[in-house]
Formats: sequence, C-alpha cells, structure tokens
Amino acid sequence: MKRLAVVLLLAVLAVPGARAQTREVRIDIAGGGRRTQLYCEAFAAGRLPAGAPAARQADEVLANDLEQSSVFLVSRAWSGQPPFDVQAVSGGRWKVASGQVTLEGEVRDFPARRSILSKVYRGSIADWRALVHQFADDIVLQFTGESGVARTRIAFIAVEGRNKELWVMDLDGAGARPLTRDRSIALSPSWSPEGSLLAFSTYRDGGSPRLYVVPAAGGKLYPVSARSGLNTSPAYSPDGREIACTLSKDGNSEIYVLDARGGSPRRLTDSRAIDTSPCWAPTGREIAFTSDRSGLPQVYVMDRDGGNVRRLTFEVGYTDSPAWSPRGDLVAFVSRTPAGFDLYVCAADGANARLVVSGGSNENPRWSPDGRHLVFASNREGPYALFISDLDGRPPRKLDTGGRTAMSPSWSPSASRIVTAVPTNASNSNPGGRP
Amino acid sequence: MRRTPALLFVATMATAALFAAGCAKKAAEAPPTPPAPPVVQTTTPEPTPSSASETPVPVPTVTAGDFTDAFFDLDSYALRDDAKVALDLAAKLLRDQADVNVTLEGHCDERGTVEYNQALGEKRANAARDYLVNAGVSAARVQTLSYGKERPFAEGHDESSWAQNRRAHFVLR
Repeated sequence: MKRLAVVLLLAVLAVPGARAQTREVRIDIAGGGRRTQLYCEAFAAGRLPAGAPAARQADEVLANDLEQSSVFLVSRAWSGQPPFDVQAVSGGRWKVASGQVTLEGEVRDFPARRSILSKVYRGSIADWRALVHQFADDIVLQFTGESGVARTRIAFIAVEGRNKELWVMDLDGAGARPLTRDRSIALSPSWSPEGSLLAFSTYRDGGSPRLYVVPAAGGKLYPVSARSGLNTSPAYSPDGREIACTLSKDGNSEIYVLDARGGSPRRLTDSRAIDTSPCWAPTGREIAFTSDRSGLPQVYVMDRDGGNVRRLTFEVGYTDSPAWSPRGDLVAFVSRTPAGFDLYVCAADGANARLVVSGGSNENPRWSPDGRHLVFASNREGPYALFISDLDGRPPRKLDTGGRTAMSPSWSPSASRIVTAVPTNASNSNPGGRP
Repeated sequence: MRRTPALLFVATMATAALFAAGCAKKAAEAPPTPPAPPVVQTTTPEPTPSSASETPVPVPTVTAGDFTDAFFDLDSYALRDDAKVALDLAAKLLRDQADVNVTLEGHCDERGTVEYNQALGEKRANAARDYLVNAGVSAARVQTLSYGKERPFAEGHDESSWAQNRRAHFVLR
C-alpha cells in the first residue's frame, strides 16, 4: 500500500524569547508503519475535591485516546516503564477550584524536553473528560496537521433479548446511554452532519418499520417517514438538508431523498430489484447504494438526481453496506463469506478493492470523521461487539460497550461542533500546528 | 431430523415398562440412522406434540395453525412448489372464511445485511400476497410486513435453522 507521509514543520521555542528553531518531523499516518513513540507522564495534581476525577483516571483517558488515534505508540510512566526509545513526552497538571477544572497540558520532545505543545483547558468538573479528549485531539493535530477523534461519539444498536435499542456513547465507551426504550427493534442509525440528531428506522409503532429522529443528547423521538411499506436505512446528506432512505410505498424498495423533516419525497431509483442502503459522497453530489438488479446484491453509485448509475463492485460476490469515506477517495463495503461478511475498501471509482478485515462476520462499516478508521460490528470474539480498524493490517480493536451486545455503529461527525468545553489558548507556540 | 431426539423421548415415555428396554436400545442406536422416525411414529399416539395441543378442541373458524407458511431458498423470493401448495391451501381457507384477514410477515435467515434483508423479506411477503390475490383473495384482506432477519424462528446458525427462517409467515388479524 502506498504510504502517506506528512511533513510537519514544528516551530520550537527552546527558551522564552529565544529565536524559534525549525525542526522536521515525518509521521506516517496511513501506512501501517511507524507510529510516534509517546511517553505519557502522569498529570501533576493538587488536592482534588469530591466530584473531580481521580488523577490516574485522567491519565488513563489521555493515554487511551492517544493509543486509539493510531498515530502514537504509547507507554505509560505510571506503569513503571522507562522512557526508552521515545520521541515525545506528554504531561501537565490538574487544578480544581470552585467547581472549575483547569488542565495545563504539555508535550515536549525527547530527550531534549523542549516544548512542542502547551495549552490550558478550562471547564466545569462535569466536563473533565471533554478537556482531556480535547488535549488528546490537539496533540494529534500538532503531530499530523489534523485533529484527532477523541471527542467523537458512537451511536449503536444494543441487542437486548429479542429487542434492539438505540444507544450512544463516547468513543472510549464513557457516558453510554439509551436513546430509545421502546422494547422494539431500532436499526440503522445515521448522524446529522452537525452531530445533534440521529435518524434511524424502528418497528416501535407495530407494523412496518418507520423513520424517526431523536436528539443525540436524548429526548423525544419524532417521526420522519411513516409511509406504507418499508421506511429504512436513513442517511443524512452532508449538508443536513436531506435524508436519503429506502421506501417501498410504491410497491418495491427504492431509494428516495426526503427533506430533513421527511417531506417532499424524491424517487431516485426505478427497478424491479431491491434497492437499499443509500450512502452519500461527502460532496453530496453522488449516492452509493446496494441493488440486486444484476443478481446478487452489489454496490452501485448514482448522481444525486438518480442519473448516471454505474456499478462499483465487481471483484467479489455478494456485496452490501457501502460507506463513503469523508475524504471522498474510498468506499468501504462488506462481502459475503461462508462465515458472514468480510470488510473491503475500494477507490471511489471501484478500483483496487482490498480486503481490510476478515474472520467471523464483520458488518455495517462506518468511517471516522477524519477518514483514518472504520468502526464496524463483528462476532469475531463472541457475541456481536463494535470494533475499529485503522486500515493498516493491525488487528481490529474492540470498543467498550459495557458488555452490551452491539451492532450497526455510526460514528459522529468531528468533534469541534459537538463539545461545549472550549480550551483557552495560553502559551501555544504554534497554534494549529499545520505545516 | 431435528425432532428425532424429542420424538424418541416421547416414545420412550409413552411405552409400557415391559418394552422400555427395547425402546431405549433403539434410542441409543437411532441418532446416526435416518430411518428411525417411522419406527417411533408407530409407537406414538400423535405424530407431533404441536398438533396434539391443537386437535382436542374443534373450532368453527380457522386459526393461524390452519395455515402453512411459505418457505424460500437462499437469496430468493421465488415461490417454490411447496410454497405454492401452502398458499393454495391458504387461498382456499381465505375464500371459505370471508371474515378472516391475514398479515404475511416476510422473514430472512441471518446471511444478509440488516437493510437488504428487510427488503428481501418484503419481497417474500409480497410474492406470497400476490399469489393469494391471483388465487381469488381480495388484496385488502392480506397485509404484508417485513422483519428481515430481526425475528428468527430458529436461533441456530446452520442450514436447518436458516431454512426455517426464510419464510412468509401467516398471522391472523
């Protein structure tokens, strides 16, 4: 696989007032190759009042975020590991006073220990995790030029006996909560692009499945499409103004685009075959979908008006569940095997299909907002659970769903729009860290 | 074949003590050999436990148990010959009982994606409904609903379970 190398020019201030020195750091972000060796030192913490996190808890949250970013190889100072062969060291200090948390985060190079990143984050005690995640994302930004995904969330379907409920949680498993308690079957969640709503399909009304929308923070469900027959597989358009979905109100499953409130259905497909699982290109100009018009299900692409239909997948048999990467260059999909499904990725024109994950059944892939990871459901280690692949050949990592059997994950959009705790820039010598 | 151990158990329980040893010996030998079930049926009062619970009380109108579901091949919503036999029977029942309405639930085995199976289940339910309508049943009396792979009848992960789960299932309403 072609390796992408990002060259960063880091302006490093050796001592305050000194002339900035320029240093070149090469980081392989998509290769499956080298990760930056980062040594996490524990945050220094004063006396922490009730309600504040245990200092070690915050240390672990940060180390886990950096590990999951796929940018760093993390070693933990509090595990007694020496800083052997490391390239950078993270640390800082906590202060908690009158209900407010202040996190002074710092990253230094090693062994010189010159400051690479220094930022102060403030928020309420209740938001302490968001502050740590923000620091983690800023570290990733500093080293790669793109923010990390530590503040994103995962919506998923929790299997509860014969029922399925919609849940949402932080990427690291914290704050898991149900958004439905219908004792029915909720399926196929899709985030609105600004991260405030989730559209999904549900059998909650009895009869055929209907589309509903629920605030991602929890709250009342409201119906979006209750047309006769199937109302399934919703997908918000990248601008949030429309929802692509499958309806069978005209007698056969077809792809439609509705406005975000569910009105003005616009039919895009017209075939006697099954058409389902629409998924937008990040430009909003094209839609990938599944159809069995040529026999077994295959992934197709059409323009947003339904024209210019072309088949995307050829090389493997039964394929389904297209997911267009937010960078626009790749489409993930699944292909059936005797054991279930394998996960593939191909170029947006269908070329270069390659196997990404196999073993057990691996279903419903969805991209991280930075396009670096895929989340999917798999029974590879037992009951269905959520896993993340970094597309680098390393084994998928299991997400913490609190032991819940979980399926149909959906990754929230990037975090800058969904977290309220805003960091305060203090002494960052290189804001943004972009080359 | 999946019922064989249960039937053997019933047979064993129903047989007098004098014959118990012989039956037990048969039970021990039975699992690997397909011809076992006919032997069991000769010693069992009712062929299956489910029909036993339904037969004692004759009812004037039809029940869900009078209908036979239509089963399908993998990835297919084409009506097989056995499905047509089941649907011919259903059409006769519905023509004879004008006050009975049904919902046909489409179901799929687990070897498909959630969303595709919802559509495939609908195709199966619609195929069964269209057959009934062609056989003279008013379309208004037959609703359809697809559960895809969400409500399996058999929970196993093998061909016999999958075959059980690919069906258009009759529900009276």
